[in-house]
Amino acid sequence: MNGFAILLQIILRSLETGGIYALASLGIIIIFRTSRISHFAQGAMGMFNTYVAAVLVDRMGLPLGIGVIVAVCLAVFIGFLVDFLVIRRAKNAIPVTKQILTLGLVTIFVGLAPMVCGVDPLSLPKFIPTGNISVAGASLSYNGLLNILIGIIIMLVLFYTLLKTKLGIAIRTTASNEPVARLMGVPTRNVTLFAWAVAAVLGCLAGIMQAPSTSVTTGVLDTVQINALIACVLGGFQTFYGPVIGSYIIALSSNLLNYYVSSVWGNQLVYLCILIFVVFRPQGIVGKKVVKKV
Amino acid sequence: MNNNTSLKSSSREKDNILLRIYRNPYFRYIIFGAILALIPIASGMNILPSSYITIMGSVMIYSIVGIGLNLLLGYSGLISLGTAGFMGLAAYVTGYLSVNVNAPFIVALAVSIFVVVLIGVIVGFVSLRVAGIYLAIATLCVSEILRKTFEELEWLTNGFSGLNASFPRLFGIQLNRKSTYFLIVVVLILVMMLTHNLVKGQMGRALHAMRESEVAAQAMGVNLLKYRLVVFAIATAYAAIGGALYIFFIRFSIPGTWTMALSLNILGAVVIGGLRSIYGTVIGCFVIFAIPDIVLKPLFGDVNGLQYVFSGLVVILVILFYPAGVKNMREDFFRLCRFLKKKINERKGKGEIQ
Repeated sequence: MNGFAILLQIILRSLETGGIYALASLGIIIIFRTSRISHFAQGAMGMFNTYVAAVLVDRMGLPLGIGVIVAVCLAVFIGFLVDFLVIRRAKNAIPVTKQILTLGLVTIFVGLAPMVCGVDPLSLPKFIPTGNISVAGASLSYNGLLNILIGIIIMLVLFYTLLKTKLGIAIRTTASNEPVARLMGVPTRNVTLFAWAVAAVLGCLAGIMQAPSTSVTTGVLDTVQINALIACVLGGFQTFYGPVIGSYIIALSSNLLNYYVSSVWGNQLVYLCILIFVVFRPQGIVGKKVVKKV
Repeated sequence: MNNNTSLKSSSREKDNILLRIYRNPYFRYIIFGAILALIPIASGMNILPSSYITIMGSVMIYSIVGIGLNLLLGYSGLISLGTAGFMGLAAYVTGYLSVNVNAPFIVALAVSIFVVVLIGVIVGFVSLRVAGIYLAIATLCVSEILRKTFEELEWLTNGFSGLNASFPRLFGIQLNRKSTYFLIVVVLILVMMLTHNLVKGQMGRALHAMRESEVAAQAMGVNLLKYRLVVFAIATAYAAIGGALYIFFIRFSIPGTWTMALSLNILGAVVIGGLRSIYGTVIGCFVIFAIPDIVLKPLFGDVNGLQYVFSGLVVILVILFYPAGVKNMREDFFRLCRFLKKKINERKGKGEIQ
C-alpha cells in the first residue's frame, strides 16, 4: 500500500468511528440543551441496551435484526423511564448535585447489565459479515460502509427534524429558553421526554455499531462516552452540529496520531491537544461565547 | 444554705467545663478517631470478623479523598472526575519509591503529594479559568491520560500485572495491618482537623462568599481563580494522600482500579454525606464502600453488580428526596421527635375535652 492509500484507509476508518462518536455526542447535546444536564450516562445506557441485544442474538440465537429492533424499543422505553422517574423529579435539586444524577445513573446501569444478563462477555455480529470494497487502494468492509452510511443518514434525519419540522422547532425553543417556551405553549415536558428517548436510541445504535469490534462487556462504550463528551466540549455546547464536527475531528486526529506518531501515546496526545485548545477557545469550535450576567 | 449554693454553682461550672470539652470540635474529632480505632481491637477479641479492618481502612482512605472532593464540590461547585487518576498516580509513585528506591514512608508520601499537586495545579490553572462543566471534562481527560499511562508505563507501574508493595516502615518500625490501620486513623483525624480549620478560617469565609454569589465575592475583592485553584490543589493533595495510603494498606495496585467508576463512587459518597460536611463524607463513604460488603453480601449473597446498583440508587434517591444529605439526619430526627410529641399532646388534649 502506498502512502496515499494508507491515508485514505485511515480517513475511512475515522469516518466510521467518528460516526459512532457523533451519534453518542448528539444524544449528549440534545439532553444538555433541553434538560440542562450534562449527560454522563449516555454510554452506560447505550451499553445496557447493547447488552440486551447481545443476549438476544448471541445467547438466544435470534437474528440480528430482531435483536436490534428490540434493543431500540427498549432504549425508547428506558429513555422515557429515566426522564419520568428521575429527571423530572429533580427540578428542586441543588444545581450542583443535579449534575451528579446522571453519574448515579451510570453506576445503576453498569451494575444492572451483569445482574440481568450475566457476567460472561458476549459478542454481537456485524450486519454484513464479510466482503470488502477497495477505494483507490484502500479497503473498506461492507459493514464499515454501512456504519458510515447509517451514521450519516441518522444525522441527516435528525437535523431535518430539528430544522424543518414542528417538533424540531419545539426542541429548539425549549433549548434556547425553557420557561419562555413553556409560556408560549410548547409542551416542554413532552419535548424533554422525547429528547431522552432520542438520546437513548442514539446511544443504543452507537453501542450496536461499536460492539462487533470488541466483545460486549460493561466497558464497551467507555471510550465512546468519553470521546463523545470531549467532542461536545470541542465542538461547543451551543449548537447541535458542533459536537458532530468535534466527533469526526477527534476520531481522525487520534487515528492519524496513532499511526504516524505513536500507537502508545497517540490518544493521550489528542486529549492533551484538546485541553490546550479549550483554554484558548472555551466556547468550542463553533460555539458562541456566553456572557454571564449579574 | 450558702454552702449548698456554692456547691451547686461549682457543679454547674464543672458541667460547663465538661460541656465545653464536649463542644470542642477537636475533641470530638479525637473521640471519633478513638471509636474508629476500636475496630481492630474488637476484631482482635473476635467480636468482629478481621475482614472489617480492611473494609474500614479502605472506607477511611476514601473518606480522606472524599473530604477533599467535598471542599471542591461544596464550596466552588466544581466537579472533578479525575480523582481516581490522581489517586492512582500517587499510589504508583509511592509504591515505586518505597519498593524500588527503598525510600522511607514520609519521603515517598511527600514526593507523591508534590508530583500529584503539581499536575493538579497545572490542570486547574488551565481549566479553572472557564467556569461550568469544563473542569469535569478536563479532569476526565487527565484521568483518561493517566489511566492509559498506567497501562503503558511498565517501569513505574508494572502494567496490567500490577504493582506489589508492603506495609510501611515508620521511624524504623515495620508496621503490620493493624498498625497501618491506626496510622490511617491518625491521618484521617489530622485531615479532618485541618479541613475544619481551613473552612473556619479566612479562606473559608472567602469560599462561603464565592458560593453565595461569585460576582459579589469578586466585587468584595475575592480572587476567584486563586481560591478555586487552592481548593482544587487541596482536593488533589487529599487524593494523593489517599492513594499513597491505599498502596501501603492494600499493597497492590492495577490500572483497572483507577477508573471513572471509582471517581463516581467517591462523588456519590460526598453527595450522600451532604455538601460541606466533614462527618457526612465519612458516613457517605461508609454507605458506599462498606455497606455492600458488610450488609448486602451476607443478605443477598454474591449477586453480580449489586454493589453498583445499590450505590447508584442511593445517590439518586438522596439527590431527589433528601438533598441536604446525611448530615441533616440528626436535626431531622429531633424535628421528627418534636413533631410526634406535639401530635401526641394534641391527641391527649382532644381526649380530655371529649
